[in-house]
Amino acid sequence: MTEVITQTPPILTGAPSDKERKYDRQLRLWAASGQAALESSHILLVNSGTGTVGIETLKNLVLPGIGKFTIADDAIVRDSDLGVNFFLDEDGLGKSRAQHCTELLVELNPEVQGDWFPKNGEPLSLPDVLGNEGPYTAVLYALPVHPRCELLLQEYCNQNKTPLIAVHSTGFYADFKITFPGPFPVVETHPDVTATTDLRLLSPWDELIDFARGMTKDIDSLDNHEHGHLPFVVILLHYLDVWKATHNSAYPSTYAEKVAFRKMVSEAARTDNPEGGEENFDEAVAAVLKTVSPPSLPGDVKEVFAYEHDSPIRSSFWIIADAVKEFYEKHGCLPLPGGLPDMKAQSSVYIQLQNIYKRKARRDAAEVFESVRRASGGDAIDPAEVDLFCKNAAFVKLINPKNNDPERLLEVADEELANDEMAKEGIMPPSLFPIYLALRATAYTPSVETSFPEDILKDMMTLVPQLGDQEPYAHERYEQAAQEVIRGASGELHNVSAVMGGMVAQEMIKIITKQYIPINNTCIFDGIGSRCQVLRL
Amino acid sequence: MDPPQTKASTPAIATPATNGAGAGAPAPPPSSTSTQTTPAGTTPPARALQRQRPAPKPRDKFYFQSLGPSATFNVKQARVLMVGAGGIGCELLKNLVLTGFGEIEVVDLDTIDLSNLNRQFLFRHEHIKKSKALVAKEAAQAFNPQVNIVAHHANIKDSQFNVRWFRGFTLVFNALDNLEARRHVNWMCLAADVPLIESGTTGFNGNVQVIKKGVTACYDCTEKPVPKSFPVCTIRSTPSQPIHCIVWGKSYLLSEVFGASEDEAAYDHSEDADNAAEIVELKKEAAALREIRESLGTGAFPQLLFDKVFNADIVRLASMEDVWKSRKKPQPLDYRTLLERSSSALASKEQILRDDQRCWSLEENLVVFIDSLDRLSKRMLELKKAHQGASGPEPVIEFDKDDVDTLDFVAAAANIRSAVFGIEPKSRFDIKEMAGNIIPAIATTNAIVASLSVLQAFKVLRGEFQQTKELFLAPSNLNRLIGYTRYSLPNPDCPVCSVYQTSVFVDLSKATLNDLVDDFVRLQLGYGDKEFAVSNELGPLYDPEETENLPKKLSELGIKGDTYLTVIDEDDEDPFVNVVINIEEATDLVEDKPIKAVAADQKPQIPRRPKKVQPVAVVANGTAPQLNGKRRLEPDAAEPSTKRRRSASEAEEPQAKKAKTAPSGRDDVIVIDDDETGQGVVVLDD
Ligand SMILES: [Zn+2]
Repeated sequence: MTEVITQTPPILTGAPSDKERKYDRQLRLWAASGQAALESSHILLVNSGTGTVGIETLKNLVLPGIGKFTIADDAIVRDSDLGVNFFLDEDGLGKSRAQHCTELLVELNPEVQGDWFPKNGEPLSLPDVLGNEGPYTAVLYALPVHPRCELLLQEYCNQNKTPLIAVHSTGFYADFKITFPGPFPVVETHPDVTATTDLRLLSPWDELIDFARGMTKDIDSLDNHEHGHLPFVVILLHYLDVWKATHNSAYPSTYAEKVAFRKMVSEAARTDNPEGGEENFDEAVAAVLKTVSPPSLPGDVKEVFAYEHDSPIRSSFWIIADAVKEFYEKHGCLPLPGGLPDMKAQSSVYIQLQNIYKRKARRDAAEVFESVRRASGGDAIDPAEVDLFCKNAAFVKLINPKNNDPERLLEVADEELANDEMAKEGIMPPSLFPIYLALRATAYTPSVETSFPEDILKDMMTLVPQLGDQEPYAHERYEQAAQEVIRGASGELHNVSAVMGGMVAQEMIKIITKQYIPINNTCIFDGIGSRCQVLRL
Repeated sequence: MDPPQTKASTPAIATPATNGAGAGAPAPPPSSTSTQTTPAGTTPPARALQRQRPAPKPRDKFYFQSLGPSATFNVKQARVLMVGAGGIGCELLKNLVLTGFGEIEVVDLDTIDLSNLNRQFLFRHEHIKKSKALVAKEAAQAFNPQVNIVAHHANIKDSQFNVRWFRGFTLVFNALDNLEARRHVNWMCLAADVPLIESGTTGFNGNVQVIKKGVTACYDCTEKPVPKSFPVCTIRSTPSQPIHCIVWGKSYLLSEVFGASEDEAAYDHSEDADNAAEIVELKKEAAALREIRESLGTGAFPQLLFDKVFNADIVRLASMEDVWKSRKKPQPLDYRTLLERSSSALASKEQILRDDQRCWSLEENLVVFIDSLDRLSKRMLELKKAHQGASGPEPVIEFDKDDVDTLDFVAAAANIRSAVFGIEPKSRFDIKEMAGNIIPAIATTNAIVASLSVLQAFKVLRGEFQQTKELFLAPSNLNRLIGYTRYSLPNPDCPVCSVYQTSVFVDLSKATLNDLVDDFVRLQLGYGDKEFAVSNELGPLYDPEETENLPKKLSELGIKGDTYLTVIDEDDEDPFVNVVINIEEATDLVEDKPIKAVAADQKPQIPRRPKKVQPVAVVANGTAPQLNGKRRLEPDAAEPSTKRRRSASEAEEPQAKKAKTAPSGRDDVIVIDDDETGQGVVVLDD
């Protein structure tokens, strides 16, 4: 039986919908598509320890409106929990912590459903929660846990291709690790807008060439206003033609040539006008180094093209990626994104130019769509998805996890120990790897209150035997980390768990919405120095 | 999965030898560590000691363990002020309460809006339109009745929150969303010499900065950009981009019809002189528009307004042939014709009004224009009815991005104007962002920034300002996520903190200007025989040639409590920086002196004005404060400083790149100060 806590959403009226108004400030980050993904998600939290960091994370997921969460936690609310967890109050003392947190969390957002296990004082059966209550969009668990429990979660996530996130917060230290269930592609990476300008000045197509030539054929006889309102794209296309005429039909390619070309454009600006210069030419000059370059394939996209993905069932991502690759191989460039930055121009001219870029982008996307259609499994793909891919083609990112490679930990240890050799000289900030290792060494210890630093240090050295060979300086940093973990006594500091709750939820939102690039894959936080480091483990 | 059941034992608590003993202490140099290491099986001394201490209350167990007793004491004793109970404020209040802060005051002017609920978790649907400060207090208070929370639904700039009031706090947190209030609190904290933790968020970006008078840079040490404005003629006569039409709809049309009058802040008047004739015409146009207001609420109003702004005014503009020689001439619209074409759009009005992201057609825009005008007119008539007979200014309706009626009106009017000028239309969703300076805001970023603020507060409470950091979220740096630099030094050219601030208790009914000049400035501040001038915001009061005010009482000179006087040293040789004196009214001053320094026990140390040419300071370990603004960077500062600063702050305006504080061009010197070793090293970066 599933007992789900929901609240009747208040009757909402008005336009736009109250839901859109409530989520307005976040829709501007991940749009309706990201919101829809959130709203159809179901997150499982397997809680443990003092139980705050998982609840803080859920709070940050409930507020923006995930569809549903489920908490599995067999702990009973105790007095000491109240001082660290905001989503518990005195009414909850002696009751199920999972139930009590669920009740308080759903109050935050009536659109979110919450559920908890175990019920009615029965023992917690994790296999049932995994098997009967899912499927889950992502699974989050708080350390320390029993290794058997962790294994169950890993198996579930592996089988169901579900991202798994482990978080551990004790005293001033915390970390979290994302285990991706396989290659994780992101199309909407939201690059910085200034990076997305793609004007194709060195590979213009007929329509663009004709338009630019039409505006500049009598460039010297244009009146000052017309000359001062030539869009910089048109100016550059014109002077590239001029350049080619005197350089064996070659475009400026070396840095020196580009500088010379820039000088040529700069000298073509009129200075005998009342303003003593032309803003559009200034824009053209400023754009030379960035936009006068042949199309190139970004490394991240190369990785996508090179990735071996010959499995019988291909996702739409891979079908479209193959089609884009085919496009690239045929044309030597990616599909045009089609955007045009703001520039000095008459508005009617600007709109014409904008349409030229948009039409070309549509043609490119249509071509990609054609080859998607021809591919097996491609007939079910939404053209909008193809458009989106084409628009973002230069910025797609593939997170390619190498999960659970035992050698990886030792590799990272060597790197970080080498880093700390430089840290000793003050050249680099010290690595946070000691914190990671101390947390890892206690990840299955329900309480360190009876442990000693040497015990933890010994466990750390079992994980990373190289530690034994270190000089005192490096060694002591690991010793300090062990001591601090002991001092935290397996208790959470609310503030540190609140930082983690924010950071973990942030990454989970990226994963659920498939927008923005999540970290790969372990994030360590030191609350003493307010420092953070991401390691790939 | 069970929480630990064993007793609380806190090894190493409060012993300085441990890494981070208490409250985020800096790690000591390695040589002094490891005193805690004892052979396995024996009880470390600190642990034995701990057993004899009184046990903390059960609910305090975990933070007591991690913070240690002295930090716990600091936290419990602290009186903190939190300015702003919004996105960061809600998180901050939760964190403060759960960290054990005992006395918290909250000030916020705002009321709760639907669009807050995606992140401001202390608020629910039923709280909409209620005071943020009061609701936040109630929610947090219910959680921990032991905490004393005082809430003010008020503007932090109100006179009740004077320097004396600020001085009553141990620490102030800014959790604000606008530049003006941030600047005000920055100033007040400098005047009261109370440490301030400033923070802000925008989307995935955020920052935290500790401000301590004389030690770290203040909020105004780096220049902040002013909001964008446009030439009057661009908005009123020759728009060429959607934003021009949106500004017109918001700052001209809506303001003229429903507000006090045109919103001047949107305009940049620097080109006015070149367009004098047109400016005169525009003033006439605006006057004619105001006359139409008389018909507000009548059936004829929509057409009157439409005919005026989309026909008559356009016809006049279009007749100015010179202007349109090289621009596309605007096309006036005919109300009747357009209305006839709009019948099908009218039938699906409800659907259009729900369509947030699609660009409406011209006909649809007309439908929204008429409908929103109707809604606003009705509201205005009601407001006027309620106002009848009452004194005070006439009621107005101002643009609010979250007020759908005003947004619809501005969106439709802007799009119709765009059609007139051949500019592309925009969706209401986009117009809202462009008109409302909307800053994206989410729970996660606020959660991170608020908790980082409290982690900095631990250092502030210990007086370890030199251990504080400027933190900034670096969402695009996937190797760090949180970047930092060492705290910045005060900018010697900062218009705000380079002055010396001090406060005096004054019995205004007795004290004369002479008392102030002789007793306070010459004697107590140590000006002696120097030549100097004293002025307030109204003008000069005293200088060596202007002495007739000296016998007058300060009250006769119009000087009140909570105002400021400025003392300017007129010496040519090595003068003092300007001194700003905050006047605090007092009537029970002892002895016969009607003026007394607030910090009478401290000898004032007024800095000298910086010389124009600064020698390049030699960078030395850990002695940065003498370096007059030399910037110290840590190597993993995630992004170059210019980029980083742009991403900071939930200000209405994005922050500008950080002004260079180094007085000379030695940009290649970076001081790395490693907080875990305490060793500073000079690196020449090539
Ligand atoms: Zn300053």
